[in-house]
Amino acid sequence: MQISLWQAIAVALLYYICQSPWLGCMLTFCTVYRPLIAGTLVGIILGQPALGMTIGATMNLLYLGFISAGGSLPGDPALAGTLGVALAIASKLTTSQALALAVPVGLLGNLVWYGGMAVNTIFLHQADKYAEAGEGRKVMFMNIVPPQVFLFIICFFPVLLAMRVGPSVIGNIMTNLSGKTLHVFTVIGGMLPALGVAMNLKAIAKGNAFMFFILGFFMVMYLKLDIVAVSIFMGVTTFVLYSLSHSSSSKGGDTNG
Amino acid sequence: MVKTSEVMEQEPKKLARRDIVKAFWNWFFFAQSCYNYERLQGLGVASYMAPLLNKLYTKKEDVAAGLTRQMAFFNSEPSFGCLIHGVNIAMEEQKANGAPIAGEEINSLKTGLMGPMAGLGDSIIQGIITPILLAIGIGLAQKGSFAGPVLYMILETAAIVGISFAGWMQGYSRGRAGITELLRSGVLRKVLEYAGILGCGVLGALAAQFVSLTTPIAMTSGTTTLKLQDMLDKVLPGLLPLALTLIVFYFIRKGKKANVVLLSIIVVGIVGALIGIF
Repeated sequence: MQISLWQAIAVALLYYICQSPWLGCMLTFCTVYRPLIAGTLVGIILGQPALGMTIGATMNLLYLGFISAGGSLPGDPALAGTLGVALAIASKLTTSQALALAVPVGLLGNLVWYGGMAVNTIFLHQADKYAEAGEGRKVMFMNIVPPQVFLFIICFFPVLLAMRVGPSVIGNIMTNLSGKTLHVFTVIGGMLPALGVAMNLKAIAKGNAFMFFILGFFMVMYLKLDIVAVSIFMGVTTFVLYSLSHSSSSKGGDTNG
Repeated sequence: MVKTSEVMEQEPKKLARRDIVKAFWNWFFFAQSCYNYERLQGLGVASYMAPLLNKLYTKKEDVAAGLTRQMAFFNSEPSFGCLIHGVNIAMEEQKANGAPIAGEEINSLKTGLMGPMAGLGDSIIQGIITPILLAIGIGLAQKGSFAGPVLYMILETAAIVGISFAGWMQGYSRGRAGITELLRSGVLRKVLEYAGILGCGVLGALAAQFVSLTTPIAMTSGTTTLKLQDMLDKVLPGLLPLALTLIVFYFIRKGKKANVVLLSIIVVGIVGALIGIF
C-alpha cells in the first residue's frame, strides 16, 4: 500500500511520543513503547487497525522479557512497534516476516537511546550551574525542554525518512525473495519468541517457581487452554500457596489444634 | 505563587499536600526526561525538588545548597523509587525546620535505598506485572480482539500510577524509619516470590502458544513414510519449542548477552531451515 506524507509524519511523531515522557515516564515506557500498543496505533494511522494490532502483538513476543536495568537496553521495541509495523503493513509482510524485520530495526533503535544518554550530559552540566545559583525554575527547564527538543530531532526525522523510502526498498527485497528464503523467515519468526520468554524467566524464575513454567506450558499443550485461562488458574494457585504459607508461619507451629 | 517570606521564622514550614502531589506528577512525568550517563535520574530528582525547596527556604543560598545536593547521582526504578522520594521530601522538610540532618545524610539515604528498590521494582514491574498483562493482551490480540491492547492499557496504567502514587505518599508520611522497617519486614520480597510463581506459569503458557519449531524430517521405507514430527508429538507435544526455550534460557541465565543469543538463534534458524532440519 501507498503511505501518504501525513501518515509518515504521524508514525514518526508516534515514535517520538513512545520515547518521550509525555504520558508519564514509566507509563510511556510500559504502554505505547510496547509493540502491542504502538502497533495498534500504527494500524489505526494506516487504516488497518486489526492488522497493526496482530503484527504488533507478534513483535511484542520478542520484547516480552524486555528489562532495562541501569540504563542499558536490549534493542528498541518502540522502533520495531512503530516503523517496523508500518513497513510490514506497507510491504504486505506476513507476521513471521515482520518479526524477522523487527530484529534489525529494533537494534538500530538503540542508537537513539545511547545518543540521548550521551548528549543529555551537556544539559545536565548547564543545570548544575543553575543549581549553584539557586535557580530552581531553570533547573526544571534544563530537565525538560532541551533534552526533549534533541530527542524529537533524533526520533522524528530519521523515522520520517525511513517511512518515505522504506516501503519501496523492503517491497523490492521481498518480491525478489525465493520460497526458500521465506521459509527461513518463518522458521526464525517461530524461534524468536523463545528469547523474550527466556529473558523474562531469568528475571523471575527463582527456585521452585520454575516448575510452574513447565506446568503452564503443558496446560496449553494438553488442555488447550488460552493464556487468560492459565492466568486465572495460576492466580488462584498462587493465592492459595501464599495464604497457606502465611497461615502456617503466623501460627508459629501447629500447637493450637 | 504565594511567597512564604511573610511567614515568621519560628513557625514550622509544613509542605501542603498539594505541593507534595504536584512534586509527584513532576517526577511521574519527567523522572528520566534528561536521563544521562553521568548521573542518570539525578536531574529528575532536583527538578521535582526545586519548587519544594522554594517553599521550604527563604534564603537563596539555602535553595542553592538544596538544589546542588539533590543533583547528585541517582538511579532506581521510577515507580518503586517513589518510596525513596517520599522519604527524601520528608527529610528535606525536617532539615528546613532545623532538625540536625546533614546534607550528606539525605543523599546517603537515597543512594542506600536506590539499589534495593531498583531490584524489587524492576522484578515486579518489568519482570512480572508488565509481562503477565502483556501476555494476556497479546493472547487476546492474536484472536483479533481489540480488548487485548485496550485492557492492557487500562490495567497497566492502573498498576503503575497506583504503585507510584501510593509509594510517594507512604514514603512521605512514614519517613526514613517507616521505609527501612518495610524493607526489613520482607513483605515486598514475599510478594515478589509469589508473584514470580504466577509469572512463570503465564510465561509457560505463552511459550507453548507462541514459540514454534517443527521438523520436516521424514524417512521413507517402502510404501510407508515415517514423519519425525508425528513421532515427537506422540512422545511429548511441544517438545521442540520447549527444548528451544530451555536452551535459550540456559544461555541467558549463564550470563550471555541478549544480542549474542539473538544472533545465535537467527544463525541456527537460517542453517537449520536451509539444510532442511527445521
